[in-house]
Amino acid sequence: MLRYLRLLGQWALDWIGALGRASLVWFWSLAGLPRRGDMTLLIKQIYQIGVLSVIIIVLSAFSIGAVLALQGYTQLARVGAQESVGLGVALVLLRELGPVVTGLLFAGRAGSAVTAEIGLMKTTDQLSSMEMMGVDPLHRIVAPRLWAGMICMPLLTLIFNAVAIWGSGLVGVGWLGVDPGGFWGGMQDGVEMWDDIGKGMLKSVVFAMVISWIAVFQGYDSTPTAEGISVATTKTVVYSSVAVLALDFILTLVMYGEFK
Amino acid sequence: MTDNLIEIEGLRFSRGDRIIFDGLDLVVPRGRITALMGPSGTGKTTLLRIIGGQIRPDSGRVIVDGLDVPTLSRTELFELRKNMGMLFQSSALFTDISVFENVAFPLRVHTNLPDEMIRDLVLMKLNAVGLRGARDLMPSQLSGGMSRRVALARTIALDPKFIMYDEPFTGQDPIAMGVLVSLIRGLNESLAMTSLVVSHDIHETASIADQMYIISDGHVIGEGTPKVLRDHPSTMVRQFMLGSPDGPVPFHYPADNFLDDVLGDA
Amino acid sequence: MIRMRTLEISVGAFVLAGIVGLVFLAFRVSGVGVGETSGNYVLKAKFDDVAGLRVRSKVSLAGVTIGRVAKIGVDSETAEAIVTMEVSGDVDNLSVDTGARIQTEGFLGGRYISLVPGGEDQLLADGDTITNTQGALVLENLIGDVITKLGSK
Repeated sequence: MLRYLRLLGQWALDWIGALGRASLVWFWSLAGLPRRGDMTLLIKQIYQIGVLSVIIIVLSAFSIGAVLALQGYTQLARVGAQESVGLGVALVLLRELGPVVTGLLFAGRAGSAVTAEIGLMKTTDQLSSMEMMGVDPLHRIVAPRLWAGMICMPLLTLIFNAVAIWGSGLVGVGWLGVDPGGFWGGMQDGVEMWDDIGKGMLKSVVFAMVISWIAVFQGYDSTPTAEGISVATTKTVVYSSVAVLALDFILTLVMYGEFK
Repeated sequence: MTDNLIEIEGLRFSRGDRIIFDGLDLVVPRGRITALMGPSGTGKTTLLRIIGGQIRPDSGRVIVDGLDVPTLSRTELFELRKNMGMLFQSSALFTDISVFENVAFPLRVHTNLPDEMIRDLVLMKLNAVGLRGARDLMPSQLSGGMSRRVALARTIALDPKFIMYDEPFTGQDPIAMGVLVSLIRGLNESLAMTSLVVSHDIHETASIADQMYIISDGHVIGEGTPKVLRDHPSTMVRQFMLGSPDGPVPFHYPADNFLDDVLGDA
Repeated sequence: MIRMRTLEISVGAFVLAGIVGLVFLAFRVSGVGVGETSGNYVLKAKFDDVAGLRVRSKVSLAGVTIGRVAKIGVDSETAEAIVTMEVSGDVDNLSVDTGARIQTEGFLGGRYISLVPGGEDQLLADGDTITNTQGALVLENLIGDVITKLGSK
C-alpha cells in the first residue's frame, strides 16, 4: 500500500516538475526581441504547420458538414422543421465542432510532426551544437513553431467552418432539396457574429496556444533516443486531445453558461 | 597568459544518484592536441559539455582562457563560444539546410559580414576539408565521413582558438579515419589551435595526441604521452591501452559460481 | 527543398483562405450587414412582455424583413420593455399608428417583430416611438388562462 502512495507522490512531483520545465520553455521561447531572419523561420513554419494541414482540414470539414446536414435533416424532418437544418448545423459547427475537431486534427497532424522534429533534433545533437555555437535553440527552433501554431490553428478553424457549412449547404440544398432561402436565411437570422462565430474562434485561439505549447515542449523535453521520440509524439497527441476536450467543456460553461 | 588554455581543478558532478566526477583535475596546454580516453560511460562527453558551459558542475573550477566558465553570464558565454568549436559524434548538421548553409551558419550568427565575404569564407573552409564541391548537397545525401568533415568545416568557420572533438573516429572506414586524423593534426598546426579529443580509438588517437588522460571512476587514473601510458604502473591503464579483454575491468558481469549456476537446476 | 518564393506564396494563400473563410462566415452565415447601414433609421417600441425576443431578431412588414432589433432595454418607471429597432431606409412610409407585434416564427421558432400598417397620414420619423404594441404571447400564460377559465365554469 505504502509503495503505491510513494509511486503516486513521485508521479505527482514528476508531473509538477514537467509543468515547471514547460513553463520555462514557453517563457524563454517567447521572451526576447525578434531578430533579422526570424520572419523567414516563421514563414517556413507556417508553411510546414499550416499549409500542409489544409488538405486534411478541408476533407474532414466537407465530410462533417455533409454528414451533419444528412443526419440533421432526417431528424428535423420528423417534426417538419427541416428548414432549420442550416441553422442547426451552423451553430453546432461554429460553437463546438469547428474548434474542437480542428484542434484534434491539428494535434494529430501538426502537433505530432513538430514534436518528432524537435525530438529528432535533440537526439542528433543539433540543439546542443546550436547552443555551442552561441545560438539559443529556444529562440531559433522552438519559438517559430510556437508562433506558427498559434497563427495557423485559428486560420484552419476558419477554413474548417467555412468548408463544413458550405458542404452542408451542398447536401442540404443541392441534394436533399431544402429551400435555399430557408436554409441560408434561417442561418443568417440565427447566427450571431460575436456570440457564435466570435466565441468559437476564441476557443480556437485557446486550443491553439495549448496544443502548440504541448507539442514543442514534448519534443524539447524528450529522451534523446528513437524510443524517446516515439513516446513524446504519443504524449503530444494524447495530452493535446484531452486538453482540447476538457478546455472545450470549461470554455463552453464559461461562455454560454446560462444553465440553471 | 598562461601556458594552459584549460585548467580543471577538483571537478565534482553527479546526475541523480550517480557520481560522474569525483575530484577531477586536468590541464589542456595551448597549441597542443590533448586526448581524453576511458571506458564507456565515464562521462567524457559530459566533461566536454561542462567545459563548453552547457552543464554546470556541482563544484570545482573550470578555467578556460582565464575565465571561470560556470560563473559566466549568458552574454559572456556567447562571446566565449565564438572562440570555441565542438565537433559532435553525430556531426549534428542541421538537416533542413544545405552543406553551404550549415557552414555559413556560425558566420551569419556571429558576424555582420556581407554575403560575398561569407561565401568566400565558406568555400575556403570547405576546401580545407576537401568538400568544396559538395557545397550544394543536403546533409541527408552525405556519407558518415563526409558529414563529419562538413561539421568540421562548420566548426572552424570562425577560426576558433580551441576545438573539442567528441569521438571523431568512431565508426569510420580506414580511409575516412585517415582523412580525419590528418585534418585534425593539420588544422591544429596550421591554425595554431588547441585541440581536445575524446576517443576510444587508441591507435588513431595515440598517433596524433601530444598527451593523453585516462579517466575512470570519476577521476584521472593516468596521464602522459602515449609511450609513458603504455608502461604505466596501473593495471587498469595498461588494460585500456592494450585492449586486454580481462583485467581490472572484468570480463564477467558479476554472477554466481558458474558450476553451481548450471548444475543448480538439475 | 521548396524554394523560398513558393513557400511565401503558399503561406500567403493560406492566410488569404483563412480570411476568405472569415468573410464567408461573417456575411453568408451570420448575416452581418443585411441592409445598407446608410439610410437606415431608428424606431422604438414599448412592450409589456418581450419574452424570447433577442437583439438582432428581425423586424418584418407583411412578412418581409425590413430591419433588425438593435437594443432591448427596460423602462423601470412604467415597467415596460423598450425595444430599439433599426429599419431599412427604403421603408419610409410607416404611419404613426403602425402596430408592432411580437410574433413567433413557426411553432417552435424564434421571436420577431411584425409591423402592421396603420391608416394615419402622419408618418413615423427617425427616433419616433410606436405606441400601438402587443407583447409576446407566452405559451404558458395562455395555457394558464385557459385552464383558469375552464376551471371557473
